[in-house]
Amino acid sequence: MIQVYRLFKYFGPSIAIRDLNLRVREGEFVFLTGPSGAGKTTLLRLIFGAERPTSGHIIINGVNLSRISRLKLDLLRRKIGFVFQDFKLLSKKTVFENVALALEVTGERPGLIRKKTRQTLRLVGLAEKEKAYPLQLSGGEQQRIAIARALVKDPLILLADEPTGNLDPDLTKDIMILFRSIHIKGTTVVVATHSRELLEDTAQRTVFLHQGKITGEK
Amino acid sequence: MTLRLLPYFFKQALNNISNNRLVHVISLGTTVVSLLIFGTFLLLFVNLSTWIHGWGQAMSMNVYLKDDISESDRAKISAFIQDLPTAKIERFISKQQALRDLKSALGNHAGVLEGLSGNPLPASFEVVFTNLEDQKKDLLGIKQALEKMAGIAEIQYSEEWLHQFEGLISIIRLVGFIIGGLLCIAILFIVTNTIKLTIYSRREEIEILKLVGATDWFVKIPFLLEGMIQGLLSGAFALLMLYLGYSLFSAKKMQLLGFAGFSFTFIPAEYAISIVLISLILGLLGCFIAVGRFFEV
Repeated sequence: MIQVYRLFKYFGPSIAIRDLNLRVREGEFVFLTGPSGAGKTTLLRLIFGAERPTSGHIIINGVNLSRISRLKLDLLRRKIGFVFQDFKLLSKKTVFENVALALEVTGERPGLIRKKTRQTLRLVGLAEKEKAYPLQLSGGEQQRIAIARALVKDPLILLADEPTGNLDPDLTKDIMILFRSIHIKGTTVVVATHSRELLEDTAQRTVFLHQGKITGEK
Repeated sequence: MTLRLLPYFFKQALNNISNNRLVHVISLGTTVVSLLIFGTFLLLFVNLSTWIHGWGQAMSMNVYLKDDISESDRAKISAFIQDLPTAKIERFISKQQALRDLKSALGNHAGVLEGLSGNPLPASFEVVFTNLEDQKKDLLGIKQALEKMAGIAEIQYSEEWLHQFEGLISIIRLVGFIIGGLLCIAILFIVTNTIKLTIYSRREEIEILKLVGATDWFVKIPFLLEGMIQGLLSGAFALLMLYLGYSLFSAKKMQLLGFAGFSFTFIPAEYAISIVLISLILGLLGCFIAVGRFFEV
């Protein structure tokens, strides 16, 4: 599903990713971990096409990201759900509108948008708060809006960047249960985290990053 | 897909305008003023052209006859003029009538003519031309044809004035183009910057839209509609204000100001539509420029 070959990414003189090779199979659940500055976020952004690699190749579902047009990249992003570390929610839009946005851009019928948005909000436990605005909700609830927005389009791949970074242990557990339920349905999930608690009781594949390089796997 | 999204795009465009009301009001105001200046110039140009055209239509030619002209030659000249489709003999001025006219024109100074041994003034035909616009190129031809006829002493018509008339119209047209061009650039600049400001106010939303898979056009279309709406409103408001201004200086008021005899008309419908269309196109063009460099997410 995701293949990364000899990937390098420089930001000016500093190197963020160096000679990285990674393969994630379809339906796999992978944790990317490492200290701050290890390159976890950069790797996710590169896989998502939000950054261009300095050299190397990223192949998503058979499509080489360095060889596709902007339009095809836009269309590919519709198959990838991304949960951002800072949520990236629109404060002037309601919970419902924030989630529905991911379907509106695809030109889906309004009736179907309403139906799928409500279904997804039920899945993440926010059905009662669809008319609220993000800033009226807690950090955990905002995180769940971001997850709902990533899930509403039934993505092939779900990328999550520190999805539990701002949450207490109970909420962290809830979010991880949610990710596992999505994974069980067949979605490939890649979660970047530096949380030891999250990794201690997991049997999932874990990839260790340090200074832009893979240093080990569990 | 695009048709289904049209209501969404319009809603977005109207939301953009509503969320950036102040910027849009200022932009609309300055665009309206620019279009109003252009419209006023157009209104003056149209009326000036009409007035000059009207004067041109009343243009006359004086055909002076030799003193010893025979009756048959005079009849031939008269027939030649009457055969011209756009010419009309206003009157025949005999030698005696010419002298009477001169005495009347001199008024109290008519005494200066008393020392004359005879009547030095020639008889003449006063010819009036209609539809000068079509005929002005033929006037010289008519003059040359008449000069070849027997019994003609001299022919006078306002050749110089005619050239000046053409020159004046050309200068006004040129100035109009320059002013119009400069105002178009100013409007383009205003619209571009207004849309840039609304894009800037929505940059976070644009980034998120792009990250959830929106195509460039999905993001651009509401801004283009916004520019079109602004262009349309500016054009319509400018036209409305121009009409109100015109109504204030209607024909009656022109007479009161001492411009009796001039009919002051509003710009023709095609010019009015052009103002709105130009404004619409400038709005759209300004948006294209503004959105061009905002899609590198």
